[in-house]
Amino acid sequence: MLLHLLNRAPSSSSVHQDVLRTMGEEDGLMLIEDGVFGAVSAQVQHFPGLEGRLFALREDLESRGLAGRCDSRVIIVDMDGFVALTEEVQRTVSWF
Amino acid sequence: MRYALLVLGGPYSHQAAHSALRFAHAAIARGHRVGTVFFYHDGVYNAAHFAAPPQDEPHLVDAWRELQRTQGTVLQVCVAAALRRGLLDAREAERHGKRGASLEPPFELTGLGQLLDIGQTHERLITFAP
Amino acid sequence: MSEITEASHGDLLVMLRHAPHGGLWLREALDLALVGAAFGQSVSLLLMGDGVWALLQGQGSGPLGQKGSQSTFEMLEMYDIERLYVDVDSLAARGLTRDDLLLPVIEVSTPELSTVLAGHRQIFNF
Repeated sequence: MLLHLLNRAPSSSSVHQDVLRTMGEEDGLMLIEDGVFGAVSAQVQHFPGLEGRLFALREDLESRGLAGRCDSRVIIVDMDGFVALTEEVQRTVSWF
Repeated sequence: MRYALLVLGGPYSHQAAHSALRFAHAAIARGHRVGTVFFYHDGVYNAAHFAAPPQDEPHLVDAWRELQRTQGTVLQVCVAAALRRGLLDAREAERHGKRGASLEPPFELTGLGQLLDIGQTHERLITFAP
Repeated sequence: MSEITEASHGDLLVMLRHAPHGGLWLREALDLALVGAAFGQSVSLLLMGDGVWALLQGQGSGPLGQKGSQSTFEMLEMYDIERLYVDVDSLAARGLTRDDLLLPVIEVSTPELSTVLAGHRQIFNF
């Protein structure tokens, strides 16, 4: 099981498509930095089939004014929760 | 757990260094050790000794130094990536006939083999990219 | 398919997702792979996205003597890089086939990508 980190918005880069094709069935996806733009309701359709394993970093949402716009299918975690996710998986893969 | 971070993004130009520092502090708060931070690609600019950001911005180079001072985190910079970008410690500066070092301890120049070693000596390696 | 299963014993996977010349990602990623091989690790490369352009035949050096990656790839065999994987979807999306490439590759389909990643102890994604 891997945790993938993505810091690009689906509106500005197609790298999320490569992430999705590479993810295993149990892998998680953590949106950080500009990746959190993909967590808003109008964009979250770019991440289908990830219920329960799609996360977004709270502080990056809040700093961009997106705290209230994050789709309910995305699990919001703070930095502490981000670290906790990395405790559960042996390896992470960062996409940019 | 023993964590290592790989920083590939330059300071200020990208959020990578901010994210890595925030992650380091959160990991420490959860009882982990951040044993090593390795800087590669444009991440080597995090070690720029002459960085002088405006006073109302976080001083990222100082923040890394503080991490080393308080947590003993080793700050390793890839020597090949650093040299081609103008980051030289005193020894390299002398070797290349330059006056003054643009990289100072606690940052240390090291080979890429160290980055591979980190994978064996740390339980987690998290990459922060530009 | 058997080639993909074999991957389960690799030490190091370096993913190359950037084209040559436009940036230094490809070269600095290859440097890491070569160091891994020199240290005796079992190293695999996975070319994906614009990384597949790195293997296109007919590349040269750029203006002001900017180095490409062709010479590094030609050295791969000498350095004992064990597996050179290429994502076939990325090839097809760019109008390329394996015949356009400098070196023989192992083609990986989308369902096999996660297997390749899972099979390596350490992954670096550039």
